[in-house]
This record gives sequence, C-alpha cells and structure tokens, in this order.
Amino acid sequence: MGKPKALVDKGKCLACGGCISVCPQDAITMCSSKAIVSKENCIDCGICIHACPVGAISNEVY
Amino acid sequence: MKYDVVVVGSGPAGSVTARFAAESGANVLIIERRQEVGVPVLCGEGVSKGVDEFKVLEGKRWLANNMDGARIISPDGTMVKLAADMAGDETGYVLYRDIFDQELARGAIRAGAELMLNTCAVNILKENGKINGVKAKQFGEEFDIEADIVVGADGVESKIGRWAGMKTTLKPYDLETCAQYTLSNVEFDRAYCDFYLGKKIAPGGYAWIFPKGKDIANVGIGILASLSEPGMSLKLLDKFINSRPELKKGEPLRFLAGAVPVAEPIESVRDNLLLVGDAARQVDPITGGGLMASIEAGKTAGETIGKAIDEQRFDKEMLLPYEEKLKNTLYKKLKRNYVVKEIILGMEDKTLNMLADSLKDYKFDELSTLSLVKALVLKHPSLLIKLKPLLKLSRL
Ligand SMILES: Cc1cc2nc3c(=O)[nH]c(=O)nc-3n(C[C@H](O)[C@H](O)[C@H](O)COP(=O)(O)OP(=O)(O)OC[C@H]3O[C@@H](n4cnc5c(N)ncnc54)[C@H](O)[C@@H]3O)c2cc1C
Ligand code: SF4
Ligand code: SF4
Repeated sequence: MGKPKALVDKGKCLACGGCISVCPQDAITMCSSKAIVSKENCIDCGICIHACPVGAISNEVY
Repeated sequence: MKYDVVVVGSGPAGSVTARFAAESGANVLIIERRQEVGVPVLCGEGVSKGVDEFKVLEGKRWLANNMDGARIISPDGTMVKLAADMAGDETGYVLYRDIFDQELARGAIRAGAELMLNTCAVNILKENGKINGVKAKQFGEEFDIEADIVVGADGVESKIGRWAGMKTTLKPYDLETCAQYTLSNVEFDRAYCDFYLGKKIAPGGYAWIFPKGKDIANVGIGILASLSEPGMSLKLLDKFINSRPELKKGEPLRFLAGAVPVAEPIESVRDNLLLVGDAARQVDPITGGGLMASIEAGKTAGETIGKAIDEQRFDKEMLLPYEEKLKNTLYKKLKRNYVVKEIILGMEDKTLNMLADSLKDYKFDELSTLSLVKALVLKHPSLLIKLKPLLKLSRL
C-alpha cells in the first residue's frame, strides 16, 4: 500500500485557487478550471484539505 | 513571438498595468487562461467610491447598486453604522464584476495592448539566468512568448512569482477561504453593505450581505484557513442563511468558492519581473478587499514599466520605484491594517460586543477602516497600548 496523498474531487472543485496558494510543495496546479495534485510532490501535510471552502479535497491512499 | 511586456492575467491588476504600460508606449500582450475576461466571477463585488478617482472606467454598465454606507454587526447583534452624512450621498458601489473586469481590459486594449484568451502561462522563460518571457499553453500546444518584462498578475495562486523563486506561498493564517451565493428574492436594506462578525458565524473572518439590486444580494462568508475544517465555509454559509428567514426564502443565481490573501505585501520586483495585485498580496487584510489596491498598484506598475521601456533597462533597480512608491502610500495602509487584523483576531466575542456597543451611536466623519480605528482608540484609551505598533506604522 502506498502513502496517502491529497486528491481533488473534480466534480466539487470550483477553481478558487486557495489550495494552490497555501501548498508548501507547489504540488497543485489549475488545469482546465480544476485543481490537480501532483502525487510526486505532495507530502500529505493536509493544509490544502483544510483550506478548501467546499470540501473538494481528501487524502487517498494510492 | 516577442513583446516589450507580457502580462499574465487579465484581472484588474493585469489590465490596469497593461493599460498604463501601453499608454506610455510599451508593446504589451496580456495572456489569460480563461475563455472570457472576468468569468466566472469570484468576488463579493463591493468597492469604495474612491475607484472613480483612477479614471479607468467608462460609463456605468459595471454598476449594480449605489451604497450609502456599511454596517458592522457584532456577535450579539449590535450594529455599528459607517455611513455618509446625508442619505443619497453614496460612498461605495456594488459591481457587476464580470463587466467591470471587461471594461478594465477594454481600457488596456484601447491603449494598444493585445489580449490572448485561453492561454495559460506554464512557466517562465530564462536565458543565461535572466527572465525573458513565459512559456504558454493554448489548446494543448506549448509555445514561447518572449518579453523584456514579465508581469505576474495571476491572482491568489501567484505561480509566476513562485517560478521566479519568490516566496509567494501563503500561510493558512494569511488566507481567507470563502463561499458565496448571489441570492434572488431576498429582503435587506439595499443602501448598506453588512458585515457580520463572530466566532460562531465566521471564525477569523466575517459573513457579508452586499446588495446588488432590489431583491438580489451577494451573501457570502470568509473564514481564516488556519481555523477552517474541510468544507467549513460552505457549511457555515448555509447555516448563516438558514437562520435568517429573510435570506432563507431566496434562491441562488450564482454560487462561488473564493480565496483571499490577507497577508502583508511581499517582495514584488526582480530583474525583468513585477508582481501586481493579489499575486503581490496587495489586499486589505481587514476587509479582504483587493480591487482598489490592484488598480492603484497596476497604475504605478504600468507607469514604471513605461519608463523602463523608454530607457531600455529592465533590471531590478530600474523597476524598484514601483515598489518604493507603494511603500510610501498603499503599503502603509495595508501594513497598519495587518496589525489591526491580528488584534481583532485575538478578541473574544464579548470584547467585540462591548466595542460595538460603545460605537453604536458614534458619528463617523469618514467611511474607512482608519476612522473605525480612530473611534475605537477615542472610546477605549486602553486599546492604545495594543495599537501602539500600529500607530507607529501609520506615522511613518
Ligand atoms: C469571495 C471573494 C470576495 C471578494 N470580494 C471583494 C470585494 O467585495 N471587494 C474587493 O475589493 N475585493 C474583493 N475580493 C478580492 C478581489 O477579488 C481581488 O483582490 C482581485 O480580484 C485581485 O485582482 P487581480 O487582478 O490581482 O487578480 P484576479 O482578479 O484573481 O485575476 C487574476 C487573473 O489571472 C488569470 N491567471 C492566473 N494564472 C494564470 C496563468 N498561469 N496563465 C494565464 N492566466 C492566469 C486568472 O484566470 C485571472 O483572470 C474578493 C475575493 C474573493 C475570492
Ligand atoms: S481550494 Fe477546493 S475549490 Fe478551491 S481550487 Fe482547491 S480544490 Fe478547488
Ligand atoms: S497535502 Fe500538502 S503537499 Fe499535498 S497537495 Fe495538499 S498542501 Fe500540497
């Protein structure tokens, strides 16, 4: 089993950019109006998960 | 593709920078990853009347509603009114932010700037360690845009600055995480923008009602990301609305999520590079309002760029007057308000109630955060001690 990483629910994300602005790893980018986490860079600190106003981010074990 | 200036982002900061740079003779390209300027709207759409002074808007198509003033409602419901002396003497506007942004972009285009939509900056370009443009992507294809000056007006994400090695990452303590409905069929006083405070309503932030018309209002909430749980903004916004029958009967015309930097302004100049607007954290940390600051900074940035193009010098020293000028004007206010933000964050609800009670009949001479702070100090000399660092800053 792999390590947990942040995962954005594309159906819920409203492209506010908040998660991107607080990610200490620069692991998130906006792609076609949805935030996308790069698994390689994410350290699962959970900061983005708490910052999302609509609860679109969770951590998943890959 | 080669320009004097490439501006990343067509928000107020980008468009106003582009306009003033183009007016002073620069060859400017704005790139915007959205397919329509200003859409989707991510904003409460409230702005002070002071915006007129910049003369960057034509006509009134962008204007939804004239405001007489603002009201702050403390946790126990005590109301402090900041209003113009006479009714009808408007102090602020509620906007159609999409039209507002498009009018600002039109101003840049009329001045000679070009605008490319659906075009996302994916990195900065460098040659011999020197920034010389951006790598862009349009409909899946990557290409280079060369420019002597790159302007990062890319909003809260501020990736341009990050790619250039600047510390743009926000601490959760310096981010307001927001949600907002534009509700129709609601009841409120359309002459006032209302701000609701309280730990139960909006931890580290506030809920707002900004009237857009007779029975349409933006009803939103911002909470400090460091105090937030996943999805908390939306949950608390729904709670705020459901506990008020005059709002509960409304139906949403628009829903949005938002992120507002409430930090101190950061380093904004490097060789061949400027950051403007939310990207440079030029936002009032108390209210989260960034439109006025973006326009003020954009004008200064554009004028500085004009001079740089004239002299064909693009190093940090040449661009630094932009930041220096703001340090003597805008940044004094932003830094002072950052100190006030920290003091307010440390207050219990009962302190906020007490302060509101002492100000409920106060006549404000001016509608600003400064007049509010002055009134507080007058009523509560003991607050002076806490506010000392702040007074020092405003005297600077
Ligand atoms: C919920 C909410 C309510 C607010 N309410 C108010 C208010 O009532 N009053 C007020 O004064 N301020 C308010 N603000 C703040 C205000 O919206 C911002 O301060 C303002 O938009 C900053 O302008 P800007 O041009 O710096 O950034 P933005 O308006 O965010 O513009 C940035 C632009 O850059 C584009 N972009 C980003 N990255 C790239 C890229 N890589 N390539 C190409 N394009 C890119 C984006 O698509 C966007 O168009 C609010 C903000 C939020 C989130
Ligand atoms: S914070 Fe949430 S809504 Fe905002 S961009 Fe990130 S995932 Fe999307
Ligand atoms: S969990 Fe942390 S490192 Fe991973 S994407 Fe979110 S903020 Fe970035």
